[in-house]
Amino acid sequence: MPLGRLLLRTSTVNKIVSRNAFRATKPDVSKPNMLRVGLAFGSTVFLWALLFKQHSTDVQEYKRRNGLE
Amino acid sequence: MGLVPEEAKGLPPPGIVNRNSVWLGLLGWANAVLHNSVNRRPALKAGVHRQVLSITIGWFIGYHLTKYEKYKYAKLDRDMSEYIRHHPNEFQQKERKTFAEIVEPFHAIR
Repeated sequence: MPLGRLLLRTSTVNKIVSRNAFRATKPDVSKPNMLRVGLAFGSTVFLWALLFKQHSTDVQEYKRRNGLE
Repeated sequence: MGLVPEEAKGLPPPGIVNRNSVWLGLLGWANAVLHNSVNRRPALKAGVHRQVLSITIGWFIGYHLTKYEKYKYAKLDRDMSEYIRHHPNEFQQKERKTFAEIVEPFHAIR
């Protein structure tokens, strides 16, 4: 059974889609907020780069300390 | 490093794919999917950027958590080995007898 179908039940938990009282327009799903999408993808790429850099630094430091290189 | 002190850098670092990373990544994805579902959006197909971001955050936190966990266990192991090394009289091998030495000779009474 597709996972999306299994999750349909949770949309009965909350039948009222609410939004910030200071916002003028209803959130429009057909027009994605490209800035937010860009920021999300950008921070994803940044975090992965940070992770890989940290990992390679750790490996180098380990090799240096134990005289393996 | 905030979590681990200097001496932990001598330990082998965890791989990019490690248990905590995978689990927290999965939790992050589940968080994004549930968030979609509760806001009455299609659970898996909406907000892929959110799903990817929360997987990444979980993976990142998991990596550092694994590093901290490895340091903690290594420290415990080292403390234990040092204690055993410094107190040999508490860890002596006991004299073991085989069953042949303990058991009395068998005389069948029929």
